[in-house]
Amino acid sequence: MAGNSLRLLLRRFFQRRDLERELNEELASHIAIETARHIQDGESPEAARQIALREFGNVGLVAEVTRDQWGLGWLEQAFADLRYSVRSFLRAPLFSAIVVITLGLGIGSSTTIFSLLDGILLHALPFSNSNQLMVLWELPPQTRKPNVVNLSNFVAWRERNHSFQSMAAFLASPMNLLGDRGGEQVPGLSVTADFFETLSTPPLLGRTFRPGEYWTSEPREVVLSYGAWQRLFGGRPDVIGKKISIDASHHEVIGVMPPAFGLPNHKAELYVPQAIEVNEGRNYTVIARLRPGVSPDAANAEMAALAAQTAREKVHMDAGWSAIAIPLLDQTVGSVRPILLILFAAVGLVLLLACTNVANLLMMRASGRVREFSVRIALGASRNRIVRQLLIESLLLSLCGGLLGVIVGGFAIRFLKTSLPENLQIPRLNEVTLSWNVLLYSAGVSILSALVFGLAPALQSLKRNVSQGLHEATRSVTSGRKVRRVLVIAEIAFALVLVSTAGLMVRSFLRLTNVDTGFHAENVLTARMLLLPVQKEEYRAETVRQMLDRIRALPGVAAAGSIGILPMEGTNSGTAYYRADRPDPPPNARPGGDVSIITPGYFEAMRIPMTYGRTFDAEDRAGSPPVAILNQSAAHILFPDEEAVGKRLKVEWGRGGNPIVEVVGVVADIRHGSVNTPPDPCLFMPNDQQPFPFTSLVVRSTGNPASLESELREQVRAVDSDQGIAKMELLQRMVSDSIARPRLEAVVLTAFGVIALGLACIGLYGLIAFSVAQRIREIGIRVALGASKAGIFRMILGDGFRLTVVGVLLGLAGVLGSARFFRSLLYEVNPLDPATLVSVICILLVVSAVACYIPALRATNADPASILREE
Amino acid sequence: MAESQRYQNRIEILQGTLDLLILQTLARGQQHGHGISQVIRARSGELLSVETGSLYPALHRLEKKGWLDSEWKASENNQRAKYYSLTKAGRKQLVAEHGKWRQLVQAVSGVLDPA
Repeated sequence: MAGNSLRLLLRRFFQRRDLERELNEELASHIAIETARHIQDGESPEAARQIALREFGNVGLVAEVTRDQWGLGWLEQAFADLRYSVRSFLRAPLFSAIVVITLGLGIGSSTTIFSLLDGILLHALPFSNSNQLMVLWELPPQTRKPNVVNLSNFVAWRERNHSFQSMAAFLASPMNLLGDRGGEQVPGLSVTADFFETLSTPPLLGRTFRPGEYWTSEPREVVLSYGAWQRLFGGRPDVIGKKISIDASHHEVIGVMPPAFGLPNHKAELYVPQAIEVNEGRNYTVIARLRPGVSPDAANAEMAALAAQTAREKVHMDAGWSAIAIPLLDQTVGSVRPILLILFAAVGLVLLLACTNVANLLMMRASGRVREFSVRIALGASRNRIVRQLLIESLLLSLCGGLLGVIVGGFAIRFLKTSLPENLQIPRLNEVTLSWNVLLYSAGVSILSALVFGLAPALQSLKRNVSQGLHEATRSVTSGRKVRRVLVIAEIAFALVLVSTAGLMVRSFLRLTNVDTGFHAENVLTARMLLLPVQKEEYRAETVRQMLDRIRALPGVAAAGSIGILPMEGTNSGTAYYRADRPDPPPNARPGGDVSIITPGYFEAMRIPMTYGRTFDAEDRAGSPPVAILNQSAAHILFPDEEAVGKRLKVEWGRGGNPIVEVVGVVADIRHGSVNTPPDPCLFMPNDQQPFPFTSLVVRSTGNPASLESELREQVRAVDSDQGIAKMELLQRMVSDSIARPRLEAVVLTAFGVIALGLACIGLYGLIAFSVAQRIREIGIRVALGASKAGIFRMILGDGFRLTVVGVLLGLAGVLGSARFFRSLLYEVNPLDPATLVSVICILLVVSAVACYIPALRATNADPASILREE
Repeated sequence: MAESQRYQNRIEILQGTLDLLILQTLARGQQHGHGISQVIRARSGELLSVETGSLYPALHRLEKKGWLDSEWKASENNQRAKYYSLTKAGRKQLVAEHGKWRQLVQAVSGVLDPA
């Protein structure tokens, strides 16, 4: 018996076709026997067959209910449903394509943004126990913004703390590498001995610096990045022990790091030892690893206590300063977290819109299929079976959409990674991939959206009873209308939220591009470099002077000068300077700001106007009376009611004690730190008197500045053939790159906004067109009874308009609710900016009018006679 | 008119009794689906008519349970037909179902015609 049913089961599974044929033969033989009986009764063969068929009933139905007895497993049934679905979608290719593309766009954008979220925010940093890694900063008395660290404070923290198992300081700087082709400058890190121990990444080859080594003098050793090893030594394994020339001295290669190694935001080619020089400057970043079990909060409490201690011990230096520990991940990605979350919410809305549209489409399709379902139910299919069929159809659509979405997402990620400017300041972008997490997410999203858009039509199909469905089959079905209207209202609301967010971002970006930075960036070429060490500091200034003299002599050069740190590249902030003719203010109340070290010609090259006094000239040399120039902000703070020129200031700068300088001029303010921060007070000193280890040549050309590049390189080499250049860049490019991220944010959000608007428009159009199609008989009667065409037009348009208004009101509520989330991303734009909101509302009204116009026109052109005749 | 008249005179076969009728019919020897419905109709004095939509599912269900066996043979009129026959388990099942049916009849008549 068991053998019998097992045999049947196997046959059922593997010989389905045989079984089907056998069943058909069995039923045919029944009819044949019956026919033969009627022929014996004297009927003609034709009549006999008709009678037999009539008595038998519906052959297909009998076959189906008999097949049900074979006990198809749920799997087989699902396969059957799937086959049925595929067939029914292939019959409606346009419908299927629209649905799959809509879902593909929704899931694709959501996959792209999630992969960013996953790679940047969620994915652990590539260090063992990376959540133990913290970045330590000092906090200045006034601004309380994390500030780089003084080495003597670092030493005090390192010796006294109980929270961290190891701690290292480092300084990022270009390093001058001397090769066969002369000097070149590559990014490097000077690190204290515990650096690699703290990150606990073992080298690929050789060794790293030993913890506790090199506290007073720097051995000439270097650890190479994987990239430097490949580039300089072609990946040769016998590299350990080789010498390379860095900053004019020979360093022995002791190790090579693995390919992915590097601090995020501080990628370096070379790692050289950093001695502890206890000077008074703040220059270093500190990275530390928490002891197991110590919380970041506890570490922060201890840092504050340690800083309070040093502040008491070194009043002149540390009074009022505190310290803070920030988790490395937060430090790395904190700046992009808000925009990523907003983008994630935005794609969530886009996906919801896509689902809503698909749900709408499916419901329209379902109402065209009422007859099909009613017949199937009448024939004995259970309602569960119908719902399952509908859900399987949804799942099929969403998985196709999901597949398309992953492909779209893959392309979008590749596009993002390859086409964005290098210094876009998106941390960890290189770690973004279509990982398993992302694929899992996309699959989850696909299934979830299938439920979201599949459930409404499925449930709707259940509500109708069979006989009603059969009766109504060809006439209008209104029960789904309410749900569809709600869906369209939701679409309009979502679209309004997205479009107004995009509008605000665009407005904010336009403001940024129109900001007056105070300097003229066009036609300016810059060249950054670390100056090679020389025996006396003055020689460095001499090198710069010689370079500039040669460059000024070039044809096509209008003006040339140099500055220590270029605009958009950071500041020497937090330096105190105050009046020398009054008693020193207490340490935590000393005014100050930026310090810039420049050469004559800088203001001319940047076209920054002098407002008072004179600019620096060749007479401001080492040995001549120290001079300085203030910008207007600094002059206003230091000398609110007096003439600044001629006054003397004490500047906490340099190793040779705090120089006292005479103000010889006042210059207009510029936005040095970034385009979107107002000018800081700034004090300028001449490079000849306060030589700076870095210099950036600033060259204004009369023609195309890019054509000067090779000439510039040539002149630098002519002064010192070992001197490399770290980076040559057009100033205009640097300014536009500095706002590349807001531009990208605006572009991406605008893209999502346009998609959302399009989806909402299609949704509204579909609904109105469908309702016109269903009401065409009613409209025909109205026209026949004397309704005017204009009246009909108004009626249809008014219908869509009401939906739009409700959607807009709901959307406005959404905008109000979400305003506070993106306030921080907007530059001088109110998140409830009336102009933006009003124009977005107008756009939506126009778009919805367009969406309703065509169906309304069709309704007006309806010919009552022909419509009523059709019935 | 004649059609609907015929329908009204018929008695709906109680749920579950069709299996019993089929098993009983086959107890007298193998038969094909058409033959089974003819036998049931004839024996019931034309009162019981088995719809094909009930008969064939029942046959396939009983075969799946292992109570019936089937083979293709030529019929009396030289037409190929699928003949069903009782298996051993089918015979046992018939005895059990028959017993249950008697009990039901007794119980129902006890209620309808109290002694």
